[in-house]
Amino acid sequence: MTAKKWIICAAAISLILTSVMPGASSRASAAPESTATASTPAVPIIGSSAQAPYESYNYNFWEEATPMPAAYLPERYITGRELGVGDFLEPADMHISKSGTVYVLDTGNQRIVQFREDGTEVKVISSFNNEGTEDGFSNPSGIFTDHEEQIYVADTGNKRIVILSPGGELVRIIQNPQSDVLPAGFQFQPLKVTVDEAKRVFVVANGVYEGIMQFDEKGTFIGYVGTIKVKRNYVDYFWRLVSTKAQRAQMALFVPTEFSNQDIDHKGFVYATNIDVGSKEPIKRLNPSGEDVLKRYGYYDVSGDIYYRRTTGPSKFVDIKVLGDGMYSALDSTQGRVFTYDESGNLLYIFGGLGNQLGMFKTPVAVEHIGERQLVLDRGKGNIVVFVPTEFGSNVNRAVRLHYQGEDTEAEDYWNRVLELNSNYDIAYTGIGKAKLMRKENKEALAYFKLGMDRKNYSVAYKRYRREVMKEHFGTVLTLLLAAAAAFVVYKAARHWKQRRESGHEAG
Amino acid sequence: MKRDDFKFPLHVIVHPFDGFWDMKYEQKGRLRVAMIILFLLVVAMILQKQFAGFLVNFNDPRRLNSISELVFVLFPFLLWSIANWSVTTLMGGEGRFKDIVMATSYALVPMVLIYPPMTLVSRFMVQEETSFYYLLNTVAVLWFLGLLFVGIMTVHQFTPAKTVLTCVLTVIVMGIIVFLGTLIFSMLQQIYDFLLNIYRELIFRV
Repeated sequence: MTAKKWIICAAAISLILTSVMPGASSRASAAPESTATASTPAVPIIGSSAQAPYESYNYNFWEEATPMPAAYLPERYITGRELGVGDFLEPADMHISKSGTVYVLDTGNQRIVQFREDGTEVKVISSFNNEGTEDGFSNPSGIFTDHEEQIYVADTGNKRIVILSPGGELVRIIQNPQSDVLPAGFQFQPLKVTVDEAKRVFVVANGVYEGIMQFDEKGTFIGYVGTIKVKRNYVDYFWRLVSTKAQRAQMALFVPTEFSNQDIDHKGFVYATNIDVGSKEPIKRLNPSGEDVLKRYGYYDVSGDIYYRRTTGPSKFVDIKVLGDGMYSALDSTQGRVFTYDESGNLLYIFGGLGNQLGMFKTPVAVEHIGERQLVLDRGKGNIVVFVPTEFGSNVNRAVRLHYQGEDTEAEDYWNRVLELNSNYDIAYTGIGKAKLMRKENKEALAYFKLGMDRKNYSVAYKRYRREVMKEHFGTVLTLLLAAAAAFVVYKAARHWKQRRESGHEAG
Repeated sequence: MKRDDFKFPLHVIVHPFDGFWDMKYEQKGRLRVAMIILFLLVVAMILQKQFAGFLVNFNDPRRLNSISELVFVLFPFLLWSIANWSVTTLMGGEGRFKDIVMATSYALVPMVLIYPPMTLVSRFMVQEETSFYYLLNTVAVLWFLGLLFVGIMTVHQFTPAKTVLTCVLTVIVMGIIVFLGTLIFSMLQQIYDFLLNIYRELIFRV
């Protein structure tokens, strides 16, 4: 009896194991860059052995989080010790200049560390000559370089912006802005700084709710851009109406939240993030007159994660980086994820996460890019993680860039490769559809737009296709109609004639 | 099936006052016709969900369920009929339950007539033309509501004001029925659990 029990037991265990194993192995092979034949030159591609430490997913049209091959994989860390300048201590910001030099604002050590991405040409700026005296930084929190490689540092503790030449000499200091719109006793505490081609300086400052502060090239305060509108919630309004004065004093003030970070594209449009609670527009693209012109044509809001646990809260963007060709990456501090969008506001891919492995962050504070690589500065760990696009990621990037440049036909090839790697990638179907529409292959375009759930373009394609079909069959249809009409007339005439003849017979 | 079975509902929807009068007092209404109309409406709804053009069809095809469409039509229909019967009986309405069922069902004919052709036409529409789809579907619903109003008024021999009042009350009673239904369901569940626990207790102890 016991022997029988043992045999049954063993059989059950083996059954469970065999049913679990294929599931596990198929899950492993479904993950990233499995086996793909098409390869893209020039962009470094990570081998198929690498595994993403984070869940790779994207949201589909139905707003479901669906698994997706990883678009970016962590390659390595860059640490201060490795560069030979000692560990970074609480670095607050990072910037990569046009020439590819990395600037890390090592706040804890009150210095700037600059180096090439391969770890050469390391230079440390910890002080500068200010009118004969040796001056340094106090708790700086933002760094930027303009097209002449001049370094702009938001020196928060000293309430000023320091502009240094590429060699580290002081060029100018912006401090103590004067204006009628600024309140008396205004404390200027710059947090993040950005400069446009005309050397206008945009500053996100602490305790400033009016928008981003704008200075001209001489350092004079011009005004604010991108004021966040306060939206009154009717529920809140109702409660304020019914509550007493004492209760009202206890309530939180209706103030617009501050901007958290910013970047600028080559056209001079400022991309800004805010950490407004419950905001559907945490990312804004501000035109020179300060209006938000970000395109939000994707399936859902440009606001990071659509689904999140109540306890975790929505995505909170702390940095944004313009990647060129309309693409931009936003860094979320809640879940430690980087969200990359295209020009129209389609979420392209998501990577990163909170944790201890390579590719996971403790307190991510800045995202930058060199070419197709994306770098994330982790304040908590004091290092930089270099992310390299996988074959999937680089194909997506190329397709998106080609589409932005108007080369839809070439983009189609890359979209096809993307689909080979991930057939659930809705944006790729739309991309191919657009290319086919350009080539007037309207019927094929229809099928692709339907797969990509793009109703607007489907309508355009259908209109053309319908006209095409009507033109083609117009002759046939008209001939048939005319023939039918003629037959009807003949029939009527014959009947009429016959009746008349019969009635004529009767009469006669 | 007589020829009149087809013709009469079509007569009712264009001549509602005469039509509903004839339905009740000239015994022209047929319960089986009413059931067929209901069935056709279910079919029309399913067809619309499944085959309406891409531009107007926002249903997730993976979650389409014909049974739920059936329930979606039948459940409110029965609920309305029962609630209306309960209210009008108390308020001195002349209509029997059968009359209410027939009036409601005959009123649904415009939807049965308009939905399927619109479903077909919507497949050949572009974005700018979809407003016609929505317009005609709305017309169908408004037509239905108008017919329902006249139907209830005629069947119970109410004044228009009283009909409005009974309709509002009917909707409230529908809510109450749903509430009571849920209550009874959850209490039955608790009673079942209670009995089950007693049974288990007995099994373990005895």
